[in-house]
Amino acid sequence: MSTPFRPGRLALATMGCIALTVAIGQAVSSETALSILTQAAIFALFATGVGVLLKQNGMVSFGHAAFFGLSAYCAAICLQETQWPAELVILVSLAATTIFAFLLALVIVRVPGIAFAMLTLAFGQLFYQLALKSRSLTGGADGISVAWPDTLFGIPTSTLLDNGIIFTISGVLLVLTLALLVCLHHSRFGQTTEAIRDNPERATFIGIRPTLPRALVFTLSAAITATAGILAAFNSGFISPDSLHWSISGTVLMMVVVGGYWNVTGPALGAAIYIVAKDLIGDLSTHWLSLFGVLLIVIVVFTDNGLSGALRTLAARARPTSAPRHP
Amino acid sequence: MTNENMILGVTDVAVHYGGVKAVDGVSFDLRRGEIHGLIGPNGAGKSTVIDAISGRRGLTRGAVHLDGQDITRCSVIERRRRGLARSFQRTSIFPNMSVGAQIGLAAHKVGAETPEQDARRVMEQLDLAGVAGTAAGSLGYGQQRRLDLALALVGRPIVLLLDEPMAGLSPQESADLAAHLLKLTRDWGVSILLVEHDTDTLFGISDCVTVFELGHVIASGRPGDVRAQPRVREAYLGSAA
Repeated sequence: MSTPFRPGRLALATMGCIALTVAIGQAVSSETALSILTQAAIFALFATGVGVLLKQNGMVSFGHAAFFGLSAYCAAICLQETQWPAELVILVSLAATTIFAFLLALVIVRVPGIAFAMLTLAFGQLFYQLALKSRSLTGGADGISVAWPDTLFGIPTSTLLDNGIIFTISGVLLVLTLALLVCLHHSRFGQTTEAIRDNPERATFIGIRPTLPRALVFTLSAAITATAGILAAFNSGFISPDSLHWSISGTVLMMVVVGGYWNVTGPALGAAIYIVAKDLIGDLSTHWLSLFGVLLIVIVVFTDNGLSGALRTLAARARPTSAPRHP
Repeated sequence: MTNENMILGVTDVAVHYGGVKAVDGVSFDLRRGEIHGLIGPNGAGKSTVIDAISGRRGLTRGAVHLDGQDITRCSVIERRRRGLARSFQRTSIFPNMSVGAQIGLAAHKVGAETPEQDARRVMEQLDLAGVAGTAAGSLGYGQQRRLDLALALVGRPIVLLLDEPMAGLSPQESADLAAHLLKLTRDWGVSILLVEHDTDTLFGISDCVTVFELGHVIASGRPGDVRAQPRVREAYLGSAA
């Protein structure tokens, strides 16, 4: 049986998660721990963007790092070249990346399967090369500093960059994004995109035009990733072409698969595990990608839907009366 | 036959793939409230005709009229909005979505005036109301075939194109489905174009039968008349039929 959608329960869970995030931001005193948690929250947002594309459209992207880097570069260049207020720069950077993603999506979401993945790889690498070669604008391989002003939204930037505060901001944005995606999943639009994903021909024969819903999911996915990019640029004050490289997209895709993309929270879980565990293993961290690769193989072979799916199955087993919900 | 009686007209339809003539010069009509059966050996062109009428395949030549309107150039979605619906040879549903959700979604997307009522009515008609909350992928095959039919039935279509809806069903399930089809034509006024290999069932419920061979029509008429034709018996039914 399908799980019924209970908006009240979602609102309660969202408020609870926000309260927990605020509490962690206040309670954790270690600067290093907060810094790692912030990075985990930012990459969780990035992975959530990649995950929604996979979940709703069934599409794999090897080019989402382009949106992550594009919004950050856009902010850095605008702050450097114009006198616009930083708040406007953030909005313009997000809007420009989102509009670009929508226009791109109208063309590439028509292409199915592996060809789509290759197109995302191509445009991702195109932006990587552009960032690398346009030295006068982007600083080339050296990257570019993001010159944030002294205040942002009326709050001193130094306050916002306090490890506890920036973690809280990133965490709250992540929680709100996840809540939005749960609503999307249960909406008519969510059902429409899932119908297209599972059976595009049948979807057409019940009156659904597939291109626009697919393009909108791609755009939403890019907007979430762009938000993560802005947060990363704010947190580090720096952006370089490395952030746009396809290997970043590939790593985030691994986070998504390890966490499990059929559950809305799965990609965020995968990203958090990747970032936190990488730091916890200390000296072995130089071999982290190899270790994560092994974890990826184990999870793909032994679980239906990543760690989140495995946790869900275990929870269902603990409650014998409720049947597990298949994706 | 008067034009008022004709709900679907297929005129000189040809579908060629390069040099291969899958269907060539096929013409027949479907009358209001009737079941029109299409039979023929494998590769005779029956499914290609269904594909051509529904817009899944482009025509090399010919025309298709629905309720007096030329729909030859209409898209699949436009044909569906005008009341032409179809099911598929292989069950075509949304396996991860619940039965109720997908029928409800279809009712909204085809532009039904009262989508919730329409979805409920279709589920009741096809005995699917009891499994409305169940994921379609976990249904039995017979129920999946009925769900496939339900997705075609929402939005009150005027013509249903059914491509081997009884394939893989047990004799009892086939008989149940045949009863449902007769009920649909009687109670809902839906006209049905039916491709089916189960000739006994097809002859039993059809008002008119058209026989295909190698992309051409070799006979068309009332079931008894068609069955009696020597060429049909030789080509498809076998001499003992």
